[in-house]
Amino acid sequence: MTDEAHSGHLQLEYQPALPIPNGKLIIWLFLSTEIMFFAALIGVYIVIRFGAPVWPATHDVHLVEPIGAFNTFVLICSSVTIVLSLEKAKSNQPGAAKLFLLATLLLGLVFLGVKAWEYNSKFSHGIYPMTPRSRIHEKADLYFGSAVRERLLAVRAPLAEKGDAARSEEEQQRFLLTAELLDRAATTQPAELALLANDIMPPPGAHDGETHHGLNDEQPWLKLPIVIPGGNMWASTYFLLTGFHALHVAAGLVVFVLMLPMQLGPAKAGFIENMGLYWHFVDLVWIFLFPLLYLF
Amino acid sequence: MSEHDPGHGEDHGLMKYIYVFIALCVLTGMSFFTYSDLWPWREEPGIGRAFMMAVSCTKAMLVILFFMHVKYEANWKYVLTIPPAIMAVFLMLALVPDIGLRDRSVSEERRRYMAEPSTAAVDGHNVPADAGH
Repeated sequence: MTDEAHSGHLQLEYQPALPIPNGKLIIWLFLSTEIMFFAALIGVYIVIRFGAPVWPATHDVHLVEPIGAFNTFVLICSSVTIVLSLEKAKSNQPGAAKLFLLATLLLGLVFLGVKAWEYNSKFSHGIYPMTPRSRIHEKADLYFGSAVRERLLAVRAPLAEKGDAARSEEEQQRFLLTAELLDRAATTQPAELALLANDIMPPPGAHDGETHHGLNDEQPWLKLPIVIPGGNMWASTYFLLTGFHALHVAAGLVVFVLMLPMQLGPAKAGFIENMGLYWHFVDLVWIFLFPLLYLF
Repeated sequence: MSEHDPGHGEDHGLMKYIYVFIALCVLTGMSFFTYSDLWPWREEPGIGRAFMMAVSCTKAMLVILFFMHVKYEANWKYVLTIPPAIMAVFLMLALVPDIGLRDRSVSEERRRYMAEPSTAAVDGHNVPADAGH
Protein backbone atom coordinates (compact mmCIF):
# COMPACT_ATOMS: atom_id res chain seq x y z
CA MET A 1 0.00 0.00 0.00
CA THR A 2 1.57 3.26 -1.02
CA ASP A 3 0.77 6.79 -0.01
CA GLU A 4 1.71 9.65 -2.27
CA ALA A 5 2.52 12.66 -0.15
CA HIS A 6 2.38 16.27 -1.40
CA SER A 7 6.04 16.22 -2.32
CA GLY A 8 5.46 13.24 -4.61
CA HIS A 9 7.70 10.92 -2.61
CA LEU A 10 6.39 7.42 -2.10
CA GLN A 11 5.68 6.55 1.53
CA LEU A 12 6.12 2.84 1.86
CA GLU A 13 4.64 1.12 4.84
CA TYR A 14 6.35 -1.85 6.40
CA GLN A 15 4.22 -4.98 6.20
CA PRO A 16 5.31 -7.86 8.41
CA ALA A 17 5.23 -11.26 6.78
CA LEU A 18 3.15 -12.70 9.59
CA PRO A 19 0.65 -10.88 11.81
CA ILE A 20 2.42 -11.96 15.00
CA PRO A 21 5.34 -10.57 17.01
CA ASN A 22 8.83 -11.93 16.38
CA GLY A 23 8.94 -13.64 19.74
CA LYS A 24 5.80 -15.60 19.04
CA LEU A 25 7.06 -16.60 15.60
CA ILE A 26 10.31 -17.83 17.10
CA ILE A 27 8.59 -19.83 19.81
CA TRP A 28 6.32 -21.47 17.24
CA LEU A 29 9.32 -22.36 15.06
CA PHE A 30 10.99 -23.82 18.14
CA LEU A 31 7.84 -25.77 18.97
CA SER A 32 7.71 -27.19 15.45
CA THR A 33 11.23 -28.57 16.00
CA GLU A 34 10.11 -29.97 19.33
CA ILE A 35 7.11 -31.57 17.63
CA MET A 36 9.52 -33.35 15.29
CA PHE A 37 11.76 -34.33 18.20
CA PHE A 38 8.99 -35.92 20.24
CA ALA A 39 7.28 -37.35 17.17
CA ALA A 40 10.54 -39.17 16.45
CA LEU A 41 10.80 -40.51 20.00
CA ILE A 42 7.15 -41.49 20.28
CA GLY A 43 7.10 -42.93 16.76
CA VAL A 44 10.13 -45.08 17.48
CA TYR A 45 8.57 -46.24 20.74
CA ILE A 46 5.39 -47.30 18.91
CA VAL A 47 7.37 -49.16 16.26
CA ILE A 48 9.62 -50.89 18.82
CA ARG A 49 6.79 -51.78 21.16
CA PHE A 50 4.57 -53.38 18.55
CA GLY A 51 7.48 -54.99 16.74
CA ALA A 52 8.85 -56.65 19.87
CA PRO A 53 8.17 -60.38 20.30
CA VAL A 54 7.15 -59.84 23.89
CA TRP A 55 6.53 -56.71 25.98
CA PRO A 56 6.13 -56.54 29.75
CA ALA A 57 2.74 -55.72 31.20
CA THR A 58 2.62 -52.58 33.33
CA HIS A 59 2.55 -54.45 36.61
CA ASP A 60 5.64 -56.46 35.64
CA VAL A 61 7.63 -53.24 35.62
CA HIS A 62 5.92 -51.60 38.61
CA LEU A 63 4.05 -48.98 36.63
CA VAL A 64 1.05 -47.65 38.53
CA GLU A 65 -1.63 -46.33 36.19
CA PRO A 66 -3.49 -44.13 38.72
CA ILE A 67 -0.25 -42.26 39.37
CA GLY A 68 0.13 -41.58 35.65
CA ALA A 69 -3.47 -40.36 35.55
CA PHE A 70 -2.79 -38.08 38.53
CA ASN A 71 0.25 -36.63 36.76
CA THR A 72 -1.90 -36.00 33.69
CA PHE A 73 -4.41 -34.15 35.84
CA VAL A 74 -1.62 -32.08 37.43
CA LEU A 75 -0.28 -30.99 34.04
CA ILE A 76 -3.76 -30.16 32.74
CA CYS A 77 -4.31 -27.97 35.82
CA SER A 78 -0.98 -26.26 35.21
CA SER A 79 -2.01 -25.52 31.61
CA VAL A 80 -5.16 -23.86 32.94
CA THR A 81 -3.24 -21.77 35.46
CA ILE A 82 -0.70 -20.50 32.92
CA VAL A 83 -3.44 -19.45 30.51
CA LEU A 84 -5.29 -17.72 33.37
CA SER A 85 -2.04 -15.97 34.26
CA LEU A 86 -1.87 -14.68 30.69
CA GLU A 87 -5.46 -13.42 30.82
CA LYS A 88 -4.82 -11.64 34.11
CA ALA A 89 -1.67 -10.04 32.74
CA LYS A 90 -3.53 -8.84 29.65
CA SER A 91 -6.24 -7.28 31.80
CA ASN A 92 -3.60 -5.46 33.91
CA GLN A 93 -3.90 -7.54 37.08
CA PRO A 94 -0.22 -8.33 37.73
CA GLY A 95 -0.81 -9.67 41.23
CA ALA A 96 -3.30 -12.27 40.06
CA ALA A 97 -1.08 -13.09 37.08
CA LYS A 98 1.81 -13.77 39.43
CA LEU A 99 -0.35 -15.97 41.67
CA PHE A 100 -1.42 -18.10 38.72
CA LEU A 101 2.19 -18.28 37.53
CA LEU A 102 3.22 -19.45 40.99
CA ALA A 103 0.45 -22.07 40.88
CA THR A 104 1.81 -23.28 37.54
CA LEU A 105 5.29 -23.53 39.01
CA LEU A 106 4.05 -25.49 42.03
CA LEU A 107 2.02 -27.88 39.88
CA GLY A 108 5.08 -28.45 37.70
CA LEU A 109 7.11 -29.25 40.80
CA VAL A 110 4.42 -31.71 41.91
CA PHE A 111 4.67 -33.40 38.53
CA LEU A 112 8.44 -33.71 38.80
CA GLY A 113 8.16 -34.94 42.38
CA VAL A 114 5.75 -37.70 41.38
CA LYS A 115 8.04 -38.59 38.46
CA ALA A 116 11.01 -38.82 40.83
CA TRP A 117 9.01 -41.12 43.11
CA GLU A 118 8.12 -43.31 40.13
CA TYR A 119 11.75 -43.48 39.02
CA ASN A 120 12.78 -44.42 42.54
CA SER A 121 10.28 -47.27 42.57
CA LYS A 122 11.81 -48.58 39.34
CA PHE A 123 15.39 -48.23 40.62
CA SER A 124 14.55 -49.94 43.90
CA HIS A 125 13.39 -52.98 41.90
CA GLY A 126 16.57 -53.08 39.81
CA ILE A 127 15.02 -51.48 36.71
CA TYR A 128 17.47 -48.98 35.25
CA PRO A 129 17.80 -47.57 31.74
CA MET A 130 20.87 -49.61 30.95
CA THR A 131 23.39 -52.13 32.21
CA PRO A 132 25.41 -52.61 34.36
CA ARG A 133 22.99 -51.08 36.87
CA SER A 134 19.98 -52.71 35.25
CA ARG A 135 19.42 -56.18 36.70
CA ILE A 136 16.88 -57.21 34.08
CA HIS A 137 17.30 -60.48 32.19
CA GLU A 138 15.15 -61.48 29.24
CA LYS A 139 14.96 -65.15 30.13
CA ALA A 140 15.57 -67.41 33.12
CA ASP A 141 18.47 -69.06 31.31
CA LEU A 142 21.98 -70.09 32.30
CA TYR A 143 23.22 -66.49 32.04
CA PHE A 144 20.56 -65.49 34.55
CA GLY A 145 21.56 -68.30 36.86
CA SER A 146 25.20 -67.30 36.53
CA ALA A 147 24.36 -63.66 37.31
CA VAL A 148 22.40 -64.72 40.40
CA ARG A 149 25.32 -66.79 41.65
CA GLU A 150 27.73 -63.93 40.98
CA ARG A 151 25.62 -61.53 43.02
CA LEU A 152 25.16 -64.03 45.86
CA LEU A 153 28.90 -64.65 46.04
CA ALA A 154 29.55 -60.90 46.13
CA VAL A 155 27.09 -60.49 49.01
CA ARG A 156 28.40 -63.56 50.81
CA ALA A 157 32.14 -62.79 50.53
CA PRO A 158 32.41 -60.23 53.37
CA LEU A 159 30.21 -62.45 55.57
CA ALA A 160 32.38 -65.47 54.88
CA GLU A 161 35.53 -63.55 55.82
CA LYS A 162 34.12 -62.76 59.25
CA GLY A 163 33.62 -66.32 60.36
CA ASP A 164 30.72 -67.83 62.33
CA ALA A 165 31.70 -66.38 65.70
CA ALA A 166 32.08 -62.77 64.53
CA ARG A 167 28.79 -62.56 62.67
CA SER A 168 25.75 -60.97 64.21
CA GLU A 169 22.43 -62.84 64.18
CA GLU A 170 21.24 -60.93 61.14
CA GLU A 171 24.50 -61.54 59.30
CA GLN A 172 24.30 -65.24 60.13
CA GLN A 173 20.77 -65.41 58.67
CA ARG A 174 22.01 -63.67 55.54
CA PHE A 175 24.91 -66.10 55.33
CA LEU A 176 22.58 -69.08 55.51
CA LEU A 177 20.09 -67.60 53.05
CA THR A 178 22.81 -66.93 50.47
CA ALA A 179 24.03 -70.53 50.86
CA GLU A 180 20.52 -71.86 50.23
CA LEU A 181 20.04 -69.62 47.19
CA LEU A 182 23.45 -70.56 45.78
CA ASP A 183 22.34 -74.19 45.84
CA ARG A 184 19.18 -73.32 43.96
CA ALA A 185 20.98 -71.11 41.44
CA ALA A 186 23.50 -73.87 40.66
CA THR A 187 20.87 -75.74 38.64
CA THR A 188 20.98 -75.95 34.86
CA GLN A 189 17.29 -76.86 34.52
CA PRO A 190 15.26 -74.05 32.89
CA ALA A 191 12.16 -74.91 34.91
CA GLU A 192 14.03 -74.56 38.21
CA LEU A 193 15.65 -71.33 37.10
CA ALA A 194 12.20 -70.03 36.18
CA LEU A 195 10.95 -70.93 39.66
CA LEU A 196 13.91 -69.12 41.20
CA ALA A 197 13.16 -66.08 39.03
CA ASN A 198 9.55 -66.15 40.24
CA ASP A 199 10.68 -66.33 43.85
CA ILE A 200 13.02 -63.37 43.37
CA MET A 201 10.32 -61.22 41.74
CA PRO A 202 6.91 -62.92 41.52
CA PRO A 203 4.56 -62.07 38.68
CA PRO A 204 1.64 -59.86 39.70
CA GLY A 205 -1.80 -61.33 40.34
CA ALA A 206 -3.54 -62.49 37.18
CA HIS A 207 -6.52 -60.13 37.34
CA ASP A 208 -6.10 -57.74 40.20
CA GLY A 209 -2.48 -56.93 39.40
CA GLU A 210 -1.69 -57.09 43.08
CA THR A 211 2.03 -57.09 43.70
CA HIS A 212 3.33 -60.15 45.49
CA HIS A 213 6.51 -59.68 47.45
CA GLY A 214 9.48 -61.79 46.53
CA LEU A 215 13.00 -62.21 47.79
CA ASN A 216 14.16 -58.81 46.50
CA ASP A 217 11.33 -57.09 48.39
CA GLU A 218 11.59 -59.06 51.63
CA GLN A 219 15.40 -58.92 51.68
CA PRO A 220 16.28 -55.63 49.95
CA TRP A 221 20.00 -56.15 50.56
CA LEU A 222 19.95 -59.11 48.13
CA LYS A 223 19.40 -57.05 44.94
CA LEU A 224 19.34 -60.20 42.84
CA PRO A 225 18.97 -60.16 39.05
CA ILE A 226 15.36 -60.32 37.84
CA VAL A 227 13.65 -61.77 34.78
CA ILE A 228 11.34 -59.49 32.83
CA PRO A 229 10.93 -60.62 29.20
CA GLY A 230 11.16 -57.53 27.03
CA GLY A 231 12.11 -55.55 30.12
CA ASN A 232 15.39 -54.09 28.86
CA MET A 233 13.82 -52.55 25.78
CA TRP A 234 10.90 -51.36 27.90
CA ALA A 235 13.25 -49.68 30.36
CA SER A 236 15.25 -48.00 27.57
CA THR A 237 12.19 -46.54 25.90
CA TYR A 238 10.39 -45.62 29.14
CA PHE A 239 13.32 -43.75 30.65
CA LEU A 240 14.17 -42.08 27.34
CA LEU A 241 10.66 -40.77 26.73
CA THR A 242 9.84 -39.74 30.27
CA GLY A 243 13.38 -38.48 30.90
CA PHE A 244 13.34 -36.11 27.96
CA HIS A 245 9.86 -34.98 28.88
CA ALA A 246 10.91 -34.35 32.48
CA LEU A 247 13.91 -32.33 31.24
CA HIS A 248 11.56 -30.16 29.22
CA VAL A 249 9.31 -29.70 32.25
CA ALA A 250 12.34 -28.71 34.35
CA ALA A 251 13.48 -26.20 31.73
CA GLY A 252 10.03 -24.63 31.76
CA LEU A 253 10.07 -24.42 35.55
CA VAL A 254 13.43 -22.64 35.47
CA VAL A 255 11.96 -19.96 33.22
CA PHE A 256 8.91 -19.65 35.49
CA VAL A 257 11.21 -19.05 38.45
CA LEU A 258 12.99 -16.33 36.48
CA MET A 259 9.64 -14.76 35.60
CA LEU A 260 8.40 -14.56 39.18
CA PRO A 261 10.25 -11.34 40.14
CA MET A 262 8.91 -9.53 37.03
CA GLN A 263 6.00 -7.12 36.96
CA LEU A 264 3.49 -9.23 35.01
CA GLY A 265 1.41 -6.49 33.45
CA PRO A 266 0.23 -6.01 29.86
CA ALA A 267 3.80 -5.28 28.73
CA LYS A 268 4.83 -8.79 29.75
CA ALA A 269 1.74 -10.49 28.30
CA GLY A 270 3.66 -11.47 25.16
CA PHE A 271 6.40 -13.12 27.19
CA ILE A 272 3.84 -15.00 29.31
CA GLU A 273 2.02 -16.07 26.16
CA ASN A 274 5.22 -17.44 24.62
CA MET A 275 6.13 -19.34 27.77
CA GLY A 276 2.56 -20.57 27.96
CA LEU A 277 2.84 -21.95 24.43
CA TYR A 278 5.92 -23.92 25.47
CA TRP A 279 4.19 -25.18 28.60
CA HIS A 280 1.09 -26.26 26.69
CA PHE A 281 3.34 -28.17 24.33
CA VAL A 282 4.91 -29.98 27.29
CA ASP A 283 1.38 -30.86 28.44
CA LEU A 284 0.52 -32.05 24.91
CA VAL A 285 3.45 -34.45 24.87
CA TRP A 286 2.38 -35.95 28.19
CA ILE A 287 -1.20 -36.30 26.89
CA PHE A 288 0.21 -38.75 24.34
CA LEU A 289 2.85 -40.32 26.57
CA PHE A 290 0.41 -41.28 29.34
CA PRO A 291 -1.78 -43.71 27.36
CA LEU A 292 1.16 -45.03 25.32
CA LEU A 293 3.28 -45.88 28.34
CA TYR A 294 0.73 -46.63 31.03
CA LEU A 295 -2.37 -47.92 29.31
CA PHE A 296 -1.28 -49.71 26.15
CA MET B 1 -1.07 -9.08 19.80
CA SER B 2 -4.37 -10.05 21.36
CA GLU B 3 -6.46 -12.50 19.40
CA HIS B 4 -9.61 -11.99 21.42
CA ASP B 5 -12.51 -9.76 20.52
CA PRO B 6 -12.46 -7.06 23.23
CA GLY B 7 -16.25 -7.02 23.26
CA HIS B 8 -16.50 -10.53 24.71
CA GLY B 9 -15.52 -9.54 28.21
CA GLU B 10 -13.03 -11.11 30.56
CA ASP B 11 -15.40 -13.46 32.41
CA HIS B 12 -16.67 -15.05 29.21
CA GLY B 13 -13.09 -15.67 28.10
CA LEU B 14 -12.13 -17.21 31.44
CA MET B 15 -15.17 -19.52 31.52
CA LYS B 16 -14.14 -20.90 28.14
CA TYR B 17 -10.89 -22.13 29.72
CA ILE B 18 -12.77 -23.65 32.64
CA TYR B 19 -15.08 -25.54 30.27
CA VAL B 20 -12.07 -26.84 28.33
CA PHE B 21 -10.44 -27.87 31.62
CA ILE B 22 -13.56 -29.82 32.63
CA ALA B 23 -13.65 -31.46 29.21
CA LEU B 24 -9.98 -32.44 29.55
CA CYS B 25 -10.62 -33.98 32.97
CA VAL B 26 -13.58 -35.95 31.63
CA LEU B 27 -11.53 -37.16 28.67
CA THR B 28 -8.66 -38.18 30.95
CA GLY B 29 -11.16 -40.15 33.00
CA MET B 30 -12.45 -41.78 29.84
CA SER B 31 -9.01 -42.96 28.76
CA PHE B 32 -8.33 -44.19 32.28
CA PHE B 33 -11.66 -46.04 32.13
CA THR B 34 -10.09 -48.55 29.73
CA TYR B 35 -7.90 -49.66 32.64
CA SER B 36 -10.83 -50.38 34.97
CA ASP B 37 -12.73 -53.66 35.28
CA LEU B 38 -15.86 -51.99 33.88
CA TRP B 39 -14.31 -51.64 30.42
CA PRO B 40 -16.35 -54.11 28.35
CA TRP B 41 -13.72 -54.90 25.68
CA ARG B 42 -10.84 -56.15 27.81
CA GLU B 43 -10.39 -59.16 25.55
CA GLU B 44 -9.96 -56.94 22.47
CA PRO B 45 -7.00 -54.64 23.14
CA GLY B 46 -7.25 -53.02 19.69
CA ILE B 47 -10.54 -51.37 20.61
CA GLY B 48 -9.10 -49.97 23.81
CA ARG B 49 -6.03 -48.62 22.05
CA ALA B 50 -8.04 -46.98 19.25
CA PHE B 51 -10.30 -45.44 21.90
CA MET B 52 -7.34 -44.15 23.90
CA MET B 53 -5.69 -42.60 20.85
CA ALA B 54 -8.98 -40.95 19.84
CA VAL B 55 -9.31 -39.52 23.34
CA SER B 56 -5.68 -38.33 23.29
CA CYS B 57 -6.14 -36.64 19.93
CA THR B 58 -9.29 -34.92 21.18
CA LYS B 59 -7.48 -33.67 24.28
CA ALA B 60 -4.58 -32.49 22.17
CA MET B 61 -6.90 -30.58 19.84
CA LEU B 62 -8.61 -28.89 22.80
CA VAL B 63 -5.24 -27.79 24.22
CA ILE B 64 -3.96 -26.65 20.83
CA LEU B 65 -7.12 -24.81 19.76
CA PHE B 66 -8.03 -23.09 23.02
CA PHE B 67 -5.08 -22.98 25.41
CA MET B 68 -2.58 -22.25 22.65
CA HIS B 69 -5.12 -19.97 20.89
CA VAL B 70 -4.48 -21.63 17.54
CA LYS B 71 -8.22 -21.45 16.80
CA TYR B 72 -7.87 -17.68 16.56
CA GLU B 73 -4.65 -17.55 14.57
CA ALA B 74 -4.32 -16.81 10.87
CA ASN B 75 -3.52 -19.27 8.10
CA TRP B 76 0.14 -19.56 9.03
CA LYS B 77 -0.92 -22.16 11.61
CA TYR B 78 -1.50 -24.65 8.78
CA VAL B 79 1.98 -24.08 7.39
CA LEU B 80 3.41 -24.74 10.83
CA THR B 81 1.43 -27.81 11.83
CA ILE B 82 0.69 -29.81 8.70
CA PRO B 83 4.29 -30.50 7.49
CA PRO B 84 5.49 -31.79 10.91
CA ALA B 85 2.37 -33.93 11.21
CA ILE B 86 3.04 -35.47 7.78
CA MET B 87 6.70 -36.01 8.65
CA ALA B 88 5.77 -37.69 11.92
CA VAL B 89 3.58 -40.23 10.11
CA PHE B 90 6.19 -40.88 7.42
CA LEU B 91 8.91 -41.26 10.03
CA MET B 92 6.98 -44.03 11.73
CA LEU B 93 6.27 -45.79 8.46
CA ALA B 94 9.93 -45.51 7.45
CA LEU B 95 11.03 -47.21 10.66
CA VAL B 96 8.73 -50.21 10.33
CA PRO B 97 10.82 -52.37 7.96
CA ASP B 98 14.15 -52.06 9.76
CA ILE B 99 13.09 -51.57 13.38
CA GLY B 100 9.53 -52.85 13.67
CA LEU B 101 10.07 -56.05 11.72
CA ARG B 102 13.63 -56.74 12.87
CA ASP B 103 12.62 -59.82 14.85
CA ARG B 104 10.85 -61.51 11.94
CA SER B 105 14.01 -62.87 10.34
CA VAL B 106 16.51 -63.36 13.13
CA SER B 107 19.20 -66.02 13.27
CA GLU B 108 18.67 -69.12 15.36
CA GLU B 109 21.43 -68.03 17.72
CA ARG B 110 19.74 -64.67 18.29
CA ARG B 111 16.39 -66.35 18.82
CA ARG B 112 17.91 -68.60 21.48
CA TYR B 113 18.58 -65.60 23.71
CA MET B 114 15.44 -63.62 22.89
CA ALA B 115 12.58 -63.28 25.33
CA GLU B 116 9.67 -65.57 24.58
CA PRO B 117 5.96 -65.01 25.05
CA SER B 118 4.68 -66.79 28.09
CA THR B 119 2.70 -69.97 27.45
CA ALA B 120 0.24 -68.70 30.08
CA ALA B 121 -0.62 -65.96 27.59
CA VAL B 122 -2.94 -63.12 28.57
CA ASP B 123 -2.84 -63.15 32.33
CA GLY B 124 -1.38 -59.71 32.82
CA HIS B 125 2.14 -61.08 32.94
CA ASN B 126 4.67 -61.31 30.10
CA VAL B 127 2.06 -61.02 27.42
CA PRO B 128 2.80 -61.28 23.70
CA ALA B 129 3.54 -57.84 22.32
CA ASP B 130 0.37 -57.65 20.27
CA ALA B 131 -1.95 -58.54 23.13
CA GLY B 132 -3.43 -56.35 25.81
CA HIS B 133 -3.17 -56.46 29.57
